[in-house]
Amino acid sequence: MRGLGLPSTEPVVQPQHYLRRPSALRSLNSPARYSSENKEGKTCDSPVQKKRIAKMPSQNQIEEMLLSRTSPVAARMRAIFGLKGLDNSAAISALEKSLKNDSSALVRHEVAYVLGQKKAISALPTLYATLEDKGEDVMVRHEAAEAMGAIGDSTAVPILEKYAKGDDIPLEIRETCVLALEKIRWIASGGAGGPTGGYNSLDPAPPESSESDIEELKNTLCDGKRDMFKRYRAMFTLRNIGGEKATLALCEGMERERGSALFRHEVAYVLGQLQREEAVPTLIKFLKDDKEADMVRHEAAEALGAIGSKEAEAELELFKKDKADVVRESVEVALDISEYVTSGELHYAETIDATKASNA
Amino acid sequence: MSEHDSGSSGASNTVPVQAGALKKGSHVVIKGFPCKIIDYSTSKTGKHGHAKANIVGIDIFTGKKYEDISPSSHNMMSPVVTRKDFQLIDIDEEGYVTIMDDKNETRSDLRLDFENDDIHKKAKEDFEEGKDLLLTVLSALDTEKVIAVKELQ
Repeated sequence: MRGLGLPSTEPVVQPQHYLRRPSALRSLNSPARYSSENKEGKTCDSPVQKKRIAKMPSQNQIEEMLLSRTSPVAARMRAIFGLKGLDNSAAISALEKSLKNDSSALVRHEVAYVLGQKKAISALPTLYATLEDKGEDVMVRHEAAEAMGAIGDSTAVPILEKYAKGDDIPLEIRETCVLALEKIRWIASGGAGGPTGGYNSLDPAPPESSESDIEELKNTLCDGKRDMFKRYRAMFTLRNIGGEKATLALCEGMERERGSALFRHEVAYVLGQLQREEAVPTLIKFLKDDKEADMVRHEAAEALGAIGSKEAEAELELFKKDKADVVRESVEVALDISEYVTSGELHYAETIDATKASNA
Repeated sequence: MSEHDSGSSGASNTVPVQAGALKKGSHVVIKGFPCKIIDYSTSKTGKHGHAKANIVGIDIFTGKKYEDISPSSHNMMSPVVTRKDFQLIDIDEEGYVTIMDDKNETRSDLRLDFENDDIHKKAKEDFEEGKDLLLTVLSALDTEKVIAVKELQ
């Protein structure tokens, strides 16, 4: 559709031009859009734009923002994604430092996620240590294992195999390790592991290339007897199909799943990517359910933030003082995401001013 | 009601296009104006990875700069931009031209601006010298403008 095969036009720089003469020919009652009283036209030299640029921090400042104990959680999140966009070892070191030291499990889990999204091979030892740390929050350990899958390097296989089975290992972690192993195998066999469907994320499973029937995909998604990787593939296929029907299929998959909190949390994440308001009632239901696993409630909150509707925002407000740290902090982050989504702000992540000196 | 709103032919003069599919050089409607994109960048995303596109365009008629930010997944309108050549038959004292297309259809609803537009001024001078001229008319979003003048050989 783009360009329509028409010849490109050179911009004609002139103070004004002429419309059709309104009364000259039939059906030529064009509005006087370019008349002199037309005050339209906020140009990009606006003071707001300039201020936005002036406000940009240096890389050091973003690192400080992440590592400071006084930064609000939402600011630390924006800093994490700021560092995600920076391709240097200092950014990775700062993220590793945060993964080891931050007081918030929510922040640590996001850092682990981003190290995976960055395919930070150099951070693998830190991620191994996180997965092996029995005192660490399950959500963070899960994210460390998932990151190994996103990185896709086979050196992680032995440790993932070790945590893929055993009754003493939490179910979420075992399931994640199985998925990560499948993902690494998938990549090793030549499968594409990159972002799909226009979503800028490395996902734990690739979409199906051969199945596009929503009903069929929903059956696979909801079938607890199928292997998890297959069900995840159906999930990401539905996400990429998008629209109301696929969204509702995902909601149904989330609501019908009994056994796996990991699965429910992943559907909630995907619903956040889809940003469809049809998912709001389901997400609210999970956020409200205080018997639900924190990782699911956390993901439901952030998905509601990503959707950013009034109803979603109003619901989030009610959970600002939730008993669970992860949920309370997620709500704070979700309200910040919601503000971003509904604003004219361009970047979510902290963005550096490349003209400022960065690394010390 | 915005000034560019046209009840008559609005349906066919734009086509929807995803903000994420636009690029430098594409045409897009920004704040109601048909623009050619001169700068396109996408945002740094958060956990769900939704990008916004920052689009700077120049109005193809006026050269004025406009900016918009839109989620990549949202549709924007792309103006249907056409160029058509007409033979110049006459210019009246108000600056209105009578022109004819390749099917011998004539029209006289376009006006030249001799004061502010060098191309239009040149057209008048050449016409008064007795040259046979071909005018190129650019149209988009119910607006039309003479943007080039060629001498017929």
